Amino acid sequence: MNDYSFNVEKEWAMADKIEGVKKLFTSNSARVETNRGEEFYENLFETCQSRIEELKSLTPPKNRVDIDEFLEVQGVNRRDFMKWASAVTGMLMLPASFTPLVADAALLMNRAPVIWIELSDCAGNTEAILRSEGPKIDEILLDVISLEFNETIMAAAGYQAEAQLEDAIETFKDKYLLFVEGAVPMGIDGYYGTIGAEAETMHDHLQRVAKHAAAIVAVGSCATFGGVPAAAPNPTGAVGVMDVIKGKPLINIPACPANPANMVGVIIQYILTGQIPELDSLLRPKFAFGYRIHDNCERRAHFDAGEFVEEWGDEGAKNNFCLYKVGCKGPMTFNNCSIVKYNDGVNWPVGVGRGCIGCSEPDFWDKYAYERPMANAHIKAPTGGVEKSVDEFGLGLLTAAGIGIGIHAVASAVAGKKEEVGE
Amino acid sequence: MITKQLLEQIEGEASVYFDIQNEKVAFATVSFPHFRGMESILEGKNALDSLVITPRVCGICGHAHLMATVRALENAYKNGGYEINLTQKSQKIREFTLLMEMIQNHFKWLYMVIIPELSKLTTLNLENRPLKGAFAASIAAKAIALFGGQWPHSSYMVPGGVTADPTHIELLQAQNYLQELIMFFEKESLGFSLETFLSFESCKEFGGFDSDIVSLEAALMDAQMHQKGFAYDRFFVMGEHGFSKVAKVKSTRTFGVESKYITTQAAYAPQAQSFAKNALYKNAYYETGPLARLMAKGRPFVKNMHRRYKDSAYSRVMARVYEIASMLSYVQNLLKDIEITQDSVTPLVDIKKISAEGVGVVEAPRGPLVHRVKIEDGIIKKYEIITPTQFNIGSSSLEKPTPVQMAMQGLSKEDALFIFRTFDVCSVCTTH
Repeated sequence: MNDYSFNVEKEWAMADKIEGVKKLFTSNSARVETNRGEEFYENLFETCQSRIEELKSLTPPKNRVDIDEFLEVQGVNRRDFMKWASAVTGMLMLPASFTPLVADAALLMNRAPVIWIELSDCAGNTEAILRSEGPKIDEILLDVISLEFNETIMAAAGYQAEAQLEDAIETFKDKYLLFVEGAVPMGIDGYYGTIGAEAETMHDHLQRVAKHAAAIVAVGSCATFGGVPAAAPNPTGAVGVMDVIKGKPLINIPACPANPANMVGVIIQYILTGQIPELDSLLRPKFAFGYRIHDNCERRAHFDAGEFVEEWGDEGAKNNFCLYKVGCKGPMTFNNCSIVKYNDGVNWPVGVGRGCIGCSEPDFWDKYAYERPMANAHIKAPTGGVEKSVDEFGLGLLTAAGIGIGIHAVASAVAGKKEEVGE
Repeated sequence: MITKQLLEQIEGEASVYFDIQNEKVAFATVSFPHFRGMESILEGKNALDSLVITPRVCGICGHAHLMATVRALENAYKNGGYEINLTQKSQKIREFTLLMEMIQNHFKWLYMVIIPELSKLTTLNLENRPLKGAFAASIAAKAIALFGGQWPHSSYMVPGGVTADPTHIELLQAQNYLQELIMFFEKESLGFSLETFLSFESCKEFGGFDSDIVSLEAALMDAQMHQKGFAYDRFFVMGEHGFSKVAKVKSTRTFGVESKYITTQAAYAPQAQSFAKNALYKNAYYETGPLARLMAKGRPFVKNMHRRYKDSAYSRVMARVYEIASMLSYVQNLLKDIEITQDSVTPLVDIKKISAEGVGVVEAPRGPLVHRVKIEDGIIKKYEIITPTQFNIGSSSLEKPTPVQMAMQGLSKEDALFIFRTFDVCSVCTTH
């Protein structure tokens, strides 16, 4: 008798869980409003136009190159340049009519000074933006962008470098964009990371340089949410920039490394509007982080058809099946990797048969970044104020252990394969 | 009087403390002022997680870390009683991406660090175009992304093989990028063809040509770099690959080596806190990197150079340039017979069944990278990472200086700083 009632309860609980999972995977995704009506765009166009005029009247800082000349010298024809401008316009979720403005903004990138500092990092974001090429445009822009200070690529060093930083801060006071790469280590009074001749702690360095920035862009998982140094047990007390800097406009561009296309997009947006782009509650630009990997994934059809890779190198792997069961966190991860991809659109992790590790989400090193699907691990709920669209699959799904993977996946389970529980 | 000099552009920052007497460096110590704690972050995690974590030690040589990790895990499988058989396809793909990372690193170092720094020390005309290096590196990065998914921080290797299953299209694209890169190298850097360069037996054959590399060689001579920067003249190669020979080299003779004799000790930096370590082989300091690799292989161009100029800064720089060429040529052949019908992964038991120790060694751009892991029921109990910069840029006391310390002695401060950079330093790796 007891067995029967126990089974019924178990069935109900299971049904609930299956409902929760169904909801997760079939919920509407895109929270980005891509059509705000004519009036909105007309007003925006005017704002951008007057901003462009204003910037045109400014003389470029010191010996910055004029990009028009540069383009000619480099042999990049106007058509290729406009193609690029049109791609960026699309990425920023603006109507096609904005393309000429975006092109103008790119030509004026040398009016927007950028200071780039590195804290507790691996330099991966700097390396990523340095490899950004296509088609020769981003490289040119790197030449032309007023990159006033970047420790990994600048020529000056030591006291000279310090002087250059001070100079840049003074010259472009309250006007520069401050890019920050790397986490802020707070352990042992901040001495797990010091910079410069006076052994300024990274925390103090950040505070000082941020003081006169117009806006701060935290680039990469470390600067946004702490990143890998903050993974358990967080030996150096690493935190992200948003935990240290208050009262300044802040943009987070997470991912490990952040996509250089998104970095350039933010700069162009800043030039166009003089403002920071629309952000979600984790301060990530919506044009890039308003939708999930899962929503635009090239393997989505396989997911929907219940075709999964069960083991590395199996028949499913050879046929590009969905990677959910070998650990893909695409359904829980907001980023535009599945559209924009990496290394100028050459490829991305899912494209080589390994799943997303969720690297644009907070705490992903402890929550997501492992080679097993989420259903088989004990996961704590995400904390803090996250936006509703993230919440949709937040607490219900993530707290329980032993949750079934869902109707699609269950149906595809290999006969006789044992499902192991938890870690 | 001890003066402090900060160095950037070394994938992080370092402080060099110079003891200057009579305008020459009597001695110098090095400290690295940052730390993240990667080894303790790895403890307690599932062993497969190390595949995504260790590449994040470094933004420019992360791929080498990935390969060292996968080798360490495969070694643990082997010590746990499970034989690993990698298909020729997965081995070649792994080697391809590793070498492309090495090539992009050397390009970047050459054009963004060495040429700009050298142009300050010579009156000869040395054209300074750092973005050439960035462009070349970006092509190489795209070739890696074809098989690795992205660069930096690809994680496409798993114990037993690789996750990628390329078709002929990817191979064609890879060959295309490679061709583009070689043509760029020939036109923009060398001034002559790759084959020509590889046929040279010494730099004397540069005569009559005009290019970045020819100017570089002339500038090095002009700055007397063939008479500066000597260290122990002892080299060391540990990573086993198709392109490398595992050996230590002492006065041009090669000897066998075993990774178990590699040890580390805390760096000696009396002026400041340093989070770095020194790495030693059988308690002695050895130099690692391109010069070491080419000496172990016995390439005539390098051997002749070494005969004249030993392990001077000149040899160090020219060896790294030569390695770009020899790697490009090697990779061309590598791509030719990849049998795509082979399996990408040979299946293995669940890692939870493994309780063993494993060692993985690869040749990273700057020398041998060693990962030592201890696994219990698939969980990491201990993880040790030893990087090549720990071999080259250790910091010790006067009685027993490390290679870079020896190389800087007796020079002017400006020269010493250049010499420091000829070792190609990776600061974030040194402290991780």
